[in-house]
Amino acid sequence: MSALLSPEDLKRQALANVQDATESNAENPALTALRDSSLAALKAAVFPGRKTEQWKYTSLQPLADGHLNRRAAAAATPADLPELGDYRLVLVNGRLDESSSALPDGVTLKREASRLEGLTTPFALYNGAALDDAITLEVAANTDVAGTVQVIHYADGDQPAHCNTRLEVVLGTGSRMTLIEQYLGRGPVLTNAVTAIETRDNAHLSHYRLQSEARDSLHIGTLLLRQSGVSRIDSYQLMAGNRLRRNDVRAFIDKSGAELNMNGIFVARDRTHIDNQLCVEHRVPDCTSNQVYRGLAGEKGKAILNGRIHIHPGASGTLAELSNKNLLLNPGAEIYTKPELEIYNDDVKCAHGATVGQLDAGQQFYLQARGVPLAEAKRMLSLGFVNELVMGLPDQTVADWAQPWLAGELGQSRGADEEAA
Amino acid sequence: MLEIRDLHAAVAGEPILKGLNLTVNAGEVHAIMGPNGSGKSTLANVLAGKDNYEITGGDALFEGKSLADLEPEERAQLGLFLAFQYPVEIPGVSNMEFLKAALEATRKAQGKEEWDSVTLLRKARETCKQVDLDPQFLKRGVNEGFSGGEKKRNEIMQMLLMEPKLALLDETDSGLDIDALQTVARGVNSLRSPERGIVLVTHYQRLLDYIVPDFVHVLSNGQIIKSGGKELAHELEEHGYGWLTGDRNDGKDQSA
Repeated sequence: MSALLSPEDLKRQALANVQDATESNAENPALTALRDSSLAALKAAVFPGRKTEQWKYTSLQPLADGHLNRRAAAAATPADLPELGDYRLVLVNGRLDESSSALPDGVTLKREASRLEGLTTPFALYNGAALDDAITLEVAANTDVAGTVQVIHYADGDQPAHCNTRLEVVLGTGSRMTLIEQYLGRGPVLTNAVTAIETRDNAHLSHYRLQSEARDSLHIGTLLLRQSGVSRIDSYQLMAGNRLRRNDVRAFIDKSGAELNMNGIFVARDRTHIDNQLCVEHRVPDCTSNQVYRGLAGEKGKAILNGRIHIHPGASGTLAELSNKNLLLNPGAEIYTKPELEIYNDDVKCAHGATVGQLDAGQQFYLQARGVPLAEAKRMLSLGFVNELVMGLPDQTVADWAQPWLAGELGQSRGADEEAA
Repeated sequence: MLEIRDLHAAVAGEPILKGLNLTVNAGEVHAIMGPNGSGKSTLANVLAGKDNYEITGGDALFEGKSLADLEPEERAQLGLFLAFQYPVEIPGVSNMEFLKAALEATRKAQGKEEWDSVTLLRKARETCKQVDLDPQFLKRGVNEGFSGGEKKRNEIMQMLLMEPKLALLDETDSGLDIDALQTVARGVNSLRSPERGIVLVTHYQRLLDYIVPDFVHVLSNGQIIKSGGKELAHELEEHGYGWLTGDRNDGKDQSA
């Protein structure tokens, strides 16, 4: 058993990497300013520990295997990556593979990243301080991007290590885009990810965030959304549990009339872990946010959702909703859900709801009485629980990928043999 | 086909069936009648294998196999079908998916040819029409938002598609108007065949005007206290269950 890992240990490990990495700074001068400012902030940051409220249900102890001590080495792009978009960018361990990448007209790529408000967690700061590479996509004003863009973040390694991967996207005025962010990987690698998206006036983004790296991998990621213009973002998030998955999603709704929709499905089975920390900041009047998340946990899996809606004093006329329904597949599984409303304005309409339930014995028996074996009945009912959201995926290619993927995630426990042994 | 010998069963520990005997041969239609609380639904649920319905004594053999040893899905795969008194709603699982899973599992187990999805859809649509159910219902969640009558018709639709060896209908007539009752009866009658057994569990004689049974049994306090032909149902309708159970008010005045 590894020794207990303190917040100070984590910080020491993280800082050691960035000091070691100073020599490679010359590689991409565009990142130097970000790295320097992030490093300064990181030095003042406090890493989470057992008593940090936002990390109440998630222990960073798996990092005691030394993931932060080692950076994942450069690796080749696997041949059989899924093609869900019309255009694809591939980053392997945080570095863009130019030969596997292409973009449509109206979208320009820069190998740079910015210092952004809202990226305040130690892991997001470390991401900025340690970047070797970064992608910024700019969608030109009034461009309706022809074809969907898939960005694959692939993590690859045979031993505990980490990579930093970063994507920034700016949708110009009057532009439209479908972006599919997909996290895949092999081996015990920690992906420390930051995605930051800004939408300007009359922009419309359809965003997919698909997370299914290897079972023994770790993922600590931040998704930062900023609606600087009257714009619409529809974000669909599908997440499988792994050894440790932590998603911090932070949305700033900064222009009156903007609309944010986020839908998510998360599945933690076979001792895997998923922690979702959502925070929607309504800072101006007359904006709408809608969040619908469904979670499932089974076989000692653990899933967490904390959904904070923060309505600032001036944000009158806000409509904000959050719904999180969860299903416990068996007694050993854990689900923690907490909607959190913080409202500093009387003229708002907010609704939130959270439930945790179990598979219905009557429904199971009904299926069995028609000849359907119990395991298959459970799988069908689990799929039924999230079906509404799957049916609501507007991109057919993603929906076609998601259905069998979910059927697999919700099928027979992969740990069944191990449990029996 | 079905042989029940001195069956004792308990629900959540409480004895309900107390020595029930019944034999159903292929080609026969049996009606089991009885007052509220006599054990009719318990019998249906015990035979189908519902949780908490425990066989505490005796035996129930289906095709020579003891049902107590079989999971509910194994019973269904052998050809036992229970039409539920209260069909369950399953939002998120469409009727079509449900039928596909049910028919794949049972047809495979019974060595019948598997239906591809085109065949299945065609048969399902035809069967919907047979029971006056709009085929649009196939796309909806299982029983989701169905009226009481639609749920019962859906049960009959499933039964017709699954072609069971033994069909148990648990108060399928309850809550049906006269048109729906006739539709359901037509569906059941179309299944009558020399290879198939049918057991109707019912409270009222009404259903038996449309599905004429070969045998009528009266269940009271967990035992069959009288068996006879179809005329027994008429006598019951006339005299009430009290005629047999000794309680004059039973069946006539539920508040007594």
